[in-house]
Amino acid sequence: MNFLNNLQGFFGDLRREGIPVTTSQTRDCCQALLLIDWLNPDCFYITLYSTLIKDYSFEAAFNSVYYRYFSSGPEILAGRQPEQALPAPLPRAETAAMAPDALPIHGMASLRGGLSQALRNPLDETLSLASLEDVQKMEALFPLISRRLASKMIKKNRRDDNSAINYRSTMRKSMATGGMPLNIMTVKRRREKPVIVAICDVSGSVMTFSCFALAMLASMQRFMRQLRTFGFIEEVDEITPWLSSGDPLTLRTTVLRKARLISSRGYTNYGKTFTGFMRRYSSSLNHKTTVLIFGDARNNWFNDEIQALQQIKTRCRKIYWFNPEPESSWGQGDSRMQVYSKYCQASFSCPNLNTLQEAIGKL
Amino acid sequence: MQDKINGLREGMFKAGYICDDRTATVLYLGEALHKPILVEGPAGVGKTGVAQAFSVMKNLPLVRLQCYDGIDEAKALYEWNYKRQLLHIQAVGSHNVDPRDVEQDIFSEQYLLRRPLLQAISSSQPTVLLIDEIDKVDFEFEAMLLELLSEFQMSIPELGTVKAIHMPYVFLTSNATRELSEALKRRCLYLHLNFPTLDLEEQILRLKVPGLTDQLAEKIATVAHRIRQVDLKKAPSIAETIDWAMAIIELGLDDLDHAVALQTLNVLVKHREDLEKLEGMIYARNDLNFQPRPVNNRAW
Repeated sequence: MNFLNNLQGFFGDLRREGIPVTTSQTRDCCQALLLIDWLNPDCFYITLYSTLIKDYSFEAAFNSVYYRYFSSGPEILAGRQPEQALPAPLPRAETAAMAPDALPIHGMASLRGGLSQALRNPLDETLSLASLEDVQKMEALFPLISRRLASKMIKKNRRDDNSAINYRSTMRKSMATGGMPLNIMTVKRRREKPVIVAICDVSGSVMTFSCFALAMLASMQRFMRQLRTFGFIEEVDEITPWLSSGDPLTLRTTVLRKARLISSRGYTNYGKTFTGFMRRYSSSLNHKTTVLIFGDARNNWFNDEIQALQQIKTRCRKIYWFNPEPESSWGQGDSRMQVYSKYCQASFSCPNLNTLQEAIGKL
Repeated sequence: MQDKINGLREGMFKAGYICDDRTATVLYLGEALHKPILVEGPAGVGKTGVAQAFSVMKNLPLVRLQCYDGIDEAKALYEWNYKRQLLHIQAVGSHNVDPRDVEQDIFSEQYLLRRPLLQAISSSQPTVLLIDEIDKVDFEFEAMLLELLSEFQMSIPELGTVKAIHMPYVFLTSNATRELSEALKRRCLYLHLNFPTLDLEEQILRLKVPGLTDQLAEKIATVAHRIRQVDLKKAPSIAETIDWAMAIIELGLDDLDHAVALQTLNVLVKHREDLEKLEGMIYARNDLNFQPRPVNNRAW
């Protein structure tokens, strides 16, 4: 074992976890390692951390690899790594490759085999297959994702860099400077705030998906005042107040307990939902509203009630549909996606969190 | 090298900033490798403070560029003072002057407005350059910044190239509202600051709030810590904890109980919903534990 090989193994494992580690970063890392005291575990950790990962969302993945390699801690290092292990001031990183057994890697080879389970980026995980650990990783990213989405949505509305010149006020202003227009006044365009109505399927068939959709909507709600959320299975009910607090992963249970979503049999009924929504909540729609629908469009062979969706469409600005199923299965079996998607501005297939995030970002 | 890191930590302490081993190490590496440091973390954990304290410690001027949506080169690099240029042209208009002289005149240093980035580069002594809230700028600006941070020079067509005499120490802060470009991140060392541990917050309070007894500092830090565990719209930042401690001192109080907390909580928490929630918790339990309200059990 030698220094650089071990380190390269570590970099490789990081890359396999989905962390983008570039060559220049590895070079920085080696250079930085030559500058610090390896016996201080905090110091050693933060050196690797600050040179190799540049985004907080990778921290969990980084930590898992780091502890797999270096969990032995400083005590073991102290025992086996006195000064001679690291010939102190090495001029260049390549020279470090010559130092035998320098890197405090403990039992690395034996751990190699156990790697395969944890090679995935949590965001790429298919939602319906996500394990508890993945869920926790994803949950940690929610605030980050939602903040990004919120800022994206705000930025969308700020495209007035090349706005027209307001001649009148420019001329008026130029009076002060003897007719020389020193300050050019431009027309300020008024910005529209996004008004969003989200309708989310919370039935058992799309359980994981709706869990995440709800968590996402809940965190979006923190950044946007004009967001109303409705949940449905058979009946539709407003769930905005239940989303304002609580653990994102238990939101769905809270919603099921508090809102009235089932009337008779408890099968998802999109048709009834749309008619019910039009009847009870059509006042929430106006020409500025964007409607987001989260669900798999599996209607259990109930009536489609297309005219209700049509009415929603005419009452609002745009409808977007987010479907957890891959596009290939749309319209198969009792999925009515192909019928419904005709009324949507766009529909997205979001089998994992990354695609869901991307889809929302595209709006 | 450990001495250097410890020295750095002491220096930062004297400058009014308590940093842990990790922060000190990153600062040391940034200095040794001549790399910009990208600081991320929630609002109010002292991202900007790191740069400010660093400049105090090094006794170097701090040049600060506050980024915002729509910032452009004219606001960040340089701009010609065209009002003065126009006035100059008008003034010499009545005299008989060679137009080429006028042109040379109006494009001289005298008419150049130096914006923060040019200031940092052209300064005769090294500076600490703080680029605050880098995530607010658009991609074009970020690309421009990238070029600047790798070369430390910029060209002004009328004047020629300005090259940095001293490399500035660069700090970038970000709230992660959008992802920065890979290229920019690659060039920086990454430092993620989080809310401090209980001990650290206590130390910070003692350092920042004169006249605070140890006992009260401990109590305030503990309560602030507990409040951060509650699910709030916005968790109180360190800056707000410091304000809170100052408010309590200012009111002439020397203990923190639930009556004092109810009176001063609005210094710590700024959302009405959050405030109501915390007040509810205090009323329900009559203490400052901030546990969720106990469920009423029917058996009793």
